[in-house]
Order: sequence, then C-alpha cells, then structure tokens
Amino acid sequence: MASMALPLSRSDVDAIEVELDALRAEVAGDLGARDAQHIHRMIRLAKLSAIAGRTLLMVGIDPLSWGVGVTALATAKILENMEIGHNVMHGQYDWMNDPALCSQTYEWDIVCDGNQWRHSHNIVHHTHTNIVGRDRDVGYGFLRVSEAQLWRPHHLFQPAVGALLALLFQWGVGLHDLELDEWLRGNRSGAEVRARLKPFLRKAARQVFKDYVLFPVLALGNAPRVLAGNLAANLVRNVWSYVVIFCGHFPDGVRTYTVDETHDETRGDWYVRQISSSCNIEGGPVLHVLSGHLSHQIEHHLFPDLPASRYPEIAPRVRALCARYELAYSTGTLWGQFATVVRRIVRLALPVAARRAFA
Amino acid sequence: MMTPGDVAGRAVAAARRVLASPWLRPLNDADALDGLLALANPLWSVGALRAEVVRVIDETPDARTFVLRPNWRWEGFVAGQHVCVDVEIDGVRHQRTYTLSSRPGEPTIAVTVKRQPGGRVSNFLHDAVRPGHVLGLSRASGSFVLPDPLPARLLMLSAGSGITPIMSILRDLHARRRPTDVVLVHSCRTPEDAIFRHELAAHARDWPCLRLAFVFTGETGRLDRERLVRLVPDWAERTSLLCGPAPFMAMVRGVWREAGVEGRLRWESFTGPVAADPPGVGTTATVTVTCAHSGVVFEAARDRSLLVEAEHTGLRPRHGCRMGICHTCLCRKVSGTVENLVTGAVSSESDTMIQICISAARSDLTLAL
Repeated sequence: MASMALPLSRSDVDAIEVELDALRAEVAGDLGARDAQHIHRMIRLAKLSAIAGRTLLMVGIDPLSWGVGVTALATAKILENMEIGHNVMHGQYDWMNDPALCSQTYEWDIVCDGNQWRHSHNIVHHTHTNIVGRDRDVGYGFLRVSEAQLWRPHHLFQPAVGALLALLFQWGVGLHDLELDEWLRGNRSGAEVRARLKPFLRKAARQVFKDYVLFPVLALGNAPRVLAGNLAANLVRNVWSYVVIFCGHFPDGVRTYTVDETHDETRGDWYVRQISSSCNIEGGPVLHVLSGHLSHQIEHHLFPDLPASRYPEIAPRVRALCARYELAYSTGTLWGQFATVVRRIVRLALPVAARRAFA
Repeated sequence: MMTPGDVAGRAVAAARRVLASPWLRPLNDADALDGLLALANPLWSVGALRAEVVRVIDETPDARTFVLRPNWRWEGFVAGQHVCVDVEIDGVRHQRTYTLSSRPGEPTIAVTVKRQPGGRVSNFLHDAVRPGHVLGLSRASGSFVLPDPLPARLLMLSAGSGITPIMSILRDLHARRRPTDVVLVHSCRTPEDAIFRHELAAHARDWPCLRLAFVFTGETGRLDRERLVRLVPDWAERTSLLCGPAPFMAMVRGVWREAGVEGRLRWESFTGPVAADPPGVGTTATVTVTCAHSGVVFEAARDRSLLVEAEHTGLRPRHGCRMGICHTCLCRKVSGTVENLVTGAVSSESDTMIQICISAARSDLTLAL
C-alpha cells in the first residue's frame, strides 16, 4: 500500500539520517551494567520458568498443575525465543564480549537452525525490509499480504493456511530459509534445497527428541502428561509469536517498496523505509518483554542491534521525529493491529486489484 | 593388547562424550547450570573456574596483591605460570593475564597487579575489587618455570612488576629449602616501588642460598652490562630467568646474546595490559592488517571499511548487510585500534569483537580472520 504522505525532500531524509545516527550513537555510548543485568535477569527468569514448568509436568498428577506447568514452560520458551534468542542473535549484546551471548554462535530453543535464522532474518529481512521480491518476510513466500504481490489461485486458501501457520509457527520459521517456494517455481536446484535441508533436519530432530522423547521418557509413568504438556507449551509459544510477528509488518498503514524505488538508497532512505514498513504495539512492560520488545518494531527496525530494552526509552523521540517530518508512525493495541492483519489476509485472498492509493 | 587401564580410560571418555551430547540438551547445559548455581553461591559451578577474593594486600603505592580462593575446578600450577583473569566492568567482559605470585601447594593463590596508567582492568581491580568479589579464572599455563633438574646456580633478573613470577619461584624454592644458589637482581624506580621488598629481605636473612641486589633506577640509573658484571661476576655461568618490561628485557637479552650464552636465559615477556593506541596515531594513509588465521597481511586505508579492504586483497570474509546491522561480519580484533564509521566510537581494547563492515583501522591491527 502506498503512503498518503508527501514524499520527503532529500534534505529532510539527510537530516533524518543525521538525527537517527546521533540517537544510535547516544544509546550505544550509554550501554553498560544495566543492560547486562537485564539480559542476565531474562536468562535466569527463562531458565527458572523452564525448570518449574518441566518439573510440574513431570511430578504432578492433577489438571491444575498441568495448566500451570504448561504456562510456565510456554513462558520460558517465549522469553528464550523472543527476548533472549532473537535479540542476542541480532548482536544486541555483542558489546558485552561474552561468548555465551555472541550473536554468531547463539543457538535458540526452536526448530529453526540459528545460522539459517541469521541469514533469512538478520540479513535478508532486516536489510531489504518490505521490498517486494527481496524481503521474503512479505508473506513468507506463500501468503499475499500486500496488493503489490501478484494474486495466485492458492491465495484463495490463505485464511485457512494462515490459521494453520499460527499453530505450526516454529515449523514455518524453521523452513523459511529453505526457500521451498523458490524451488517449486524452479528457481532453486534440488541440490541447493538439500544442502539447506540438512541443518534444518538436524536442529528439528534435536528439538523433537527433547520435547517428545527425552522429557517424556524421564517422566516414566507420567510420559503422556509430559508429552501433552510440551506439545501444549509449543503451541502456546507458536500462536503467541505468530500474533506478535504478524503485527510487525502486515497491519494496515505499512507500505511496501519496489526494487527500483530502493536502488540508490542512502542510509537516511533506509531509515525512512524501516519506519514506514513497521508497526508498533501499545502495552505495558510485560507485553514488551513477552514480545521480545517487537512491540517496538519501528525502533527495532531502525536499530536492530541495540539492546531491545532500550526501545521503550527512545520510542518517544522517534515518534516526535516522525511527527516533525510528517512520517506515519503506525501503532495500536495488539488486538486492534491483529484485527487489521486478519482482515487483510482474508481480503487479499481474493484477486482484488491494487486500490486507489496508487491513483 | 589393551590393558584394563586403557579400557577404563576409553569407557570414561565414551561416557563423557555421551553426557556432553547435544541430544541431552538442556539437561547437560553446564553454562545454564552454572548460572543457577551462582544464584546460591557465586563460587559454585559444575564447569566454570571461578575464585573469590579473600584478601587484598597493598604492596607498594601502585601494586596490590589479590589473594584468591579458587573453586573445585582449579587444578594447581607450577611456580612462574600465569592465569587469565576475567572481570565484568560496566557490563563488558574483560580478560587480562596475570602471573601468579604465590607459591604452589597452598589452598589460596595470589596475583599481584600494578596499576597501569589508563589501564581499564588494573584500575578496576585496584578501585572496585574487595574481599568477597568473585572473578572468572582460566587454568594456569606458561612455560616460564624452573628447569628440571634444578641447576646448582640460578640468576633471576626482574624489573617492575616482572618480579611476580620470580617471587612465586623464590617462594617455592624457599618453602622447599632447595640447596640452590640464587641471586636476584631486581630493578625498579625507588625502594618504595620494590614489590615484596620486606619479604625478600626476610628470606635473604634466614635462607643463606639467596642473595639480593636491588637496582633503584631513580637513584643510580638503569642497569647495564657493566653494573651487571659487577653485581654478579659469574652471570654467564648461571641459568638465568628474566622477566620485566620490554626495554629491560631487550637490554639483558642483548648482553647474553653478545656473550653467546643466550641458551642459558629463560624469559617471559611481561608487557602487562596493552596500552591504548591514541586515535589517529601515525600519519601514514594506510596501516598494516595481519590476519591471525590465514596468515595474510594487507595494507588498509584509514577511511575505508576493513571488509572492503580485506576483499581488495582477495579475502572473502563472512558478511551480510554491509551496513552494520546484521553482525554477520563479526570478527575478533586481537589487537589494535579501530573506529566505528557509523558511531565514531573508537575501540583500542585487545580481544574485542568488531563489525568489519563498518570499522576502519586507526592503527596497525591483528584480526582473527
């Protein structure tokens, strides 16, 4: 969807670049013990929550302890995937010089292989955000989320496919870098796909073994209860991360770009594209942490390698900058934003023409 | 034919491999267990070597000894060896190598640290570390140790804080009452700067094998060949151990080389924390970048990113966005100074991770490429 605002002048874009670079340098220069404490606290919280959840599932016999156990384990997985894994792998804590928090070696608790995530997300998505044909996160290769994407008959099923993806989200994330859609269209050789399949299968096998063999076996007679609990925790994490992530770039109000438009981009143009491509979610500190601070998707896309807990602090300044340059700063409640995403997925399932916005 | 010992050894190795298998994650995640054990007691750990500071001793106005009680992972050391000490300062992990100054075989170990002007870690240790503080530690290593069998006559030469490994060796010899004739020539600015002065004097009194010769450069000038010959006439016949700042070591090694007896000299380069290069040091347009892994050496312009310069040489470092956001090009800077071309931040710390796509060299560099 095209933006309604007037295009910015070159001097405005240059000024935005200078301001945002200065903001970045200011935060980067202020990083210290507080940020280290935050990530260490999150890691502790995730570990303790996982231990509590797995213990309750293993030793309990009643439905209440099962429910609490599932909640604790799902919380642990959500914290590890979103506030810890995603952010550490972005390099947000590389400055700490701690090998356990090194972006290039961290491996997260999900079926997606860390190296494949670093490629598909950090490089492809964050560099080419919302450029149709470059950013594979625009519909992940099978959903139509922008009028700029060509309609194909399989899009008719996308409301159901989208709902299924919510339940199986970690598998979608895991398969994303295999680019199976490109292979189906004949743009990838079988050998290339097989090479990418190997790390995916290795990681997925370990994850499946852990949640559906190792811990159930350790629980002896309680094995079915643990297996069901682990399945439920994975489902909760899947649905939650799906909702948060779909609110990042698919709600109404974001715009997509063409390859030509972004040909001679400056750093300032890139900043502007990140702002117009991303949507925030309003809420309190608990929502921010449970979303891995993707509730501040705009700030995250401007500064993907600054510690995420800093985003709420700089958000008012980014928002003020957007107001000054009449740049849309898209934000809303979680369910308000998600409702526009669902509406869009349903609407774009049909071969609607590009709307009057292009007129 | 395998002996029962071999069988047992193989069984233990196989069991270890199984226990460390990635298939058993998260049950065998030692880092995670250590993090949780540390909540109960910061010294407790299954895998990490840590030590608690139990005593801090002022040796001279700018040198302090930190007496440490290591946890169960400590495997002991040989006098003259060093350890890597790990501290967190403002959220950032820093590592420095310090020689152990205590003698082996005691329940505690000690490092003696001289305050370096502008030195981040030495100043932190002096200003912020008190008894109760827990530090990360590496296992002891180093080959600057007494030869075996022990020679009949020894000469030890040290300057400044280069006394620390020598002190460990002397304490070891003294405790074991070894009948070796030892001469220590120690050079420092003033008597007040002489670390361990009182303990050395006491040892010399009750242990006739030890003779001390102090050279106070603030009073009598630097040690040279002539002074050395006067102090220790039989220097060339002694097995000698040398540790101190670079100029001191260069002088001594020169004397030994000239006499053709360099084989009798053991030495340990003791540079302490690498002094920060001032930004913009030198005036040349290019600097020399050494790649520690590939052995490639190339010239890099000061105004271009290290990634671009490395690619010009024909290297193909890992990279992604080329604009500083994805961290794919993260690379360990072994030594030297770089400037972040986006933030202008200057990094002079050794062993630091840098993004080479947005870093330009500000001094000669060594990269782990």
